[in-house]
Amino acid sequence: MAVVCFGKSLSRAGRQLLNVTVFRSITRASVCRCPAIHRTVNSTIPHAQRAFHASQPVMVTKILSVEEIFNKKALHDYLKKKEMEYNSCLQSLNTESQTLDDEHVKMNRNNLSVLGPLVQKIKELEEKQKELEDTLDLLKDNDPELLELAESEKEACLAAIQDLRQQILSLLIPEEESDMSDLVLEVTAGVGGQEAMLFTAEIFDMYHNFAAFHGWGFDILEVMSSELGGIRRAAASISGPFSYKKLKFEAGVHRVQRVPKTESKGRIHTSTMTVAILPQPTEISFTISPKDLRIETKRASGAGGQHVNTTDSAVRIVHLPTGTVAECQQERSQIKNKETAMTLLRAKLFSARLEEETSKRYLARKLQIGSRGRSEKIRTYNFSQDRITDHRIGKTVHDVHGFLQGEELLEEMIVFLQQFSEQESLMDILQDCDQNQ
Amino acid sequence: MFKTIWFLNRLLHRNSGVSKHRGVVRLWSNAAEGAVAPPADCSITAEQAIRCWAQHFTLHGISEPLLSSQYIISHVLGEKTLECVQRKRLRDTLTDRERESVWELCSKRLTRMPVQYVIEEWDFRDLTLKMRPPVFIPRPETEELVSLVLEDSRLIQGESHRTDLRCLEVGCGSGAISLSLLHSIPQLRVFALDQSQTAVCLTMENANRLGLQDRLEVHLLDVIKDADVILSKCNPVDFLISNPPYLLSQDMKTLQTEILKFEDHSALDGGLDGLSVIRPILALSSKLLTPRGRVYLEVAPCHPPIIQQLIEEMMPGLLYLETRCDLTNRPRFCILQKKGEDG
Repeated sequence: MAVVCFGKSLSRAGRQLLNVTVFRSITRASVCRCPAIHRTVNSTIPHAQRAFHASQPVMVTKILSVEEIFNKKALHDYLKKKEMEYNSCLQSLNTESQTLDDEHVKMNRNNLSVLGPLVQKIKELEEKQKELEDTLDLLKDNDPELLELAESEKEACLAAIQDLRQQILSLLIPEEESDMSDLVLEVTAGVGGQEAMLFTAEIFDMYHNFAAFHGWGFDILEVMSSELGGIRRAAASISGPFSYKKLKFEAGVHRVQRVPKTESKGRIHTSTMTVAILPQPTEISFTISPKDLRIETKRASGAGGQHVNTTDSAVRIVHLPTGTVAECQQERSQIKNKETAMTLLRAKLFSARLEEETSKRYLARKLQIGSRGRSEKIRTYNFSQDRITDHRIGKTVHDVHGFLQGEELLEEMIVFLQQFSEQESLMDILQDCDQNQ
Repeated sequence: MFKTIWFLNRLLHRNSGVSKHRGVVRLWSNAAEGAVAPPADCSITAEQAIRCWAQHFTLHGISEPLLSSQYIISHVLGEKTLECVQRKRLRDTLTDRERESVWELCSKRLTRMPVQYVIEEWDFRDLTLKMRPPVFIPRPETEELVSLVLEDSRLIQGESHRTDLRCLEVGCGSGAISLSLLHSIPQLRVFALDQSQTAVCLTMENANRLGLQDRLEVHLLDVIKDADVILSKCNPVDFLISNPPYLLSQDMKTLQTEILKFEDHSALDGGLDGLSVIRPILALSSKLLTPRGRVYLEVAPCHPPIIQQLIEEMMPGLLYLETRCDLTNRPRFCILQKKGEDG
């Protein structure tokens, strides 16, 4: 697990995007797959350059460093609370095991297994902090050899403390059930005609490569091409460990600013495309009643059967209660198109239901999932200035061509988003804790 | 044919030189010397060819002009559908061989030949099958007929002592039903028959291509004329399946040209009431099925109540289980069962 420390924001003023300095300290226990991270990413977006696009003022919340979080009383109160919970569960299991019913015992055992690792880490942290204090005492000594030893001990302690704190924070963030699912990725060209469709094709390829980069499956469900080789609309089923978790914040409007291939006068155009990420449920967890579906095919008119010979095997399925539609004409076999359309429909319905469940939790967040965030401009790819900016968190990286390869640079951005989201989750938990007291 | 040449001549006289930006039809017609000759000198991309031929099909009143064009050209490029072709490939110039192939195949389509016969193949469920006129082209409804069988858990899971399952298909055509079932049910053995030699050969050819020939027997037999032979050659089966000709004779003349001109009429015409082949199949099934063995039939939407009545009145050994609808909600499938020993 890589450890990231967020530096403080440097300036804040009206419509200016903030400068965000990001650096990583790599601990012994972590593996960094992105050598690029070692660079300091720094960028200033002056107000004047943004004359041709209207962006909202992005007031990035102050991204707290691990130290700052640990300085919060709310965190310490929360950790204390968890420790007390753990101890009481332990006690009740040890003393009253004969008198309590199965449900109670089961619940206690469950809590113990969930809280166990956290409590363990808290203990380790306290030990390390004690060790640090002892080492600091040694530093008061005048012996140079001893001083040197003490210094290196201090450094090791600090690093271990940092690591433990990060681990504790990670343990505090709840796992979302949907994080384990696969997903359906949908891309749709937006404003900008042929150029928007070409850009959509590039983004689709980017995610295709990203899936390959992670060794995930990428099955194309539908593709509607344009005349110049762009894409109007496409969908793919992506499957692999943590695929949904990684890609869930890619949903929204992606914007490109460059001189299009179709442009003869060298003017810069702004075009958009939309990405939708739909978690895909397993068969068992989500069933749809056939009565709620209307399946449309081209054989609807006339007598059908032996009477007609067509090659149009497109299938369109409408979920009557919600009006959700899914269609497919990828295959020559009608029954295969129907199966694919069903997969697409299930993903759409599942994600809609999931959204209902999580919308309250995500209400105030910068990083939205589901259809809330669907019409928000999340990222701009500026070719002439060779930069990519994620507007939700105010992060800018460079090398657009590299980014579109869908490998390390995209991974870097996604890890950043994940950690930002974890931070938002954490703040919610601590806020709840505060309020409940 | 004359219409085509006349049309071409008009265009040839009207244009001079190759103009890339104007109608693609002209691009083609400039170099064309006749309806079937490809343009010898001009280069054309796959995209342009698709549009050009779609326009040409439309002009000639060919049904599904764009789809026909897309399927044929995708096939020439080695793919099943346009969506499978790499986007960049569409903008590449066709090679000479590809161009000639496109022209040859599309010209066939101009004669109202169904696309499946033009490209000599089509998909049925998970399989790709060879198609050859006049052998009947499988319809999408029949894909669902196979699903019905596969849904019957008694057949799939089977009792533990069953290591084999036997099935009879009447009217196998290209082999679509039999081969789909063989593909999905490893312990199945099929006895298939058709009254057309071409169909028998095509089924065997498809079986060999798919490596399913070991569990399949195909016979040239007519269910009406050769009922006794069938009974003697075929051992009792666990189920019988068929997509028999079920069109009413009076409806035959309203069929589209593609079907009338190219497909075997005897695979379509079910006589006055559409039941001329279905009746002998039902008679056969009550003799060939093991007790509680089932019959799965694809029929015309008007047939289920008639068949139900027929069974009750004339075939006491059979029980009518249920009618199932196809995707368009038309009654399409009849499931019957041979009564057990207890009656």
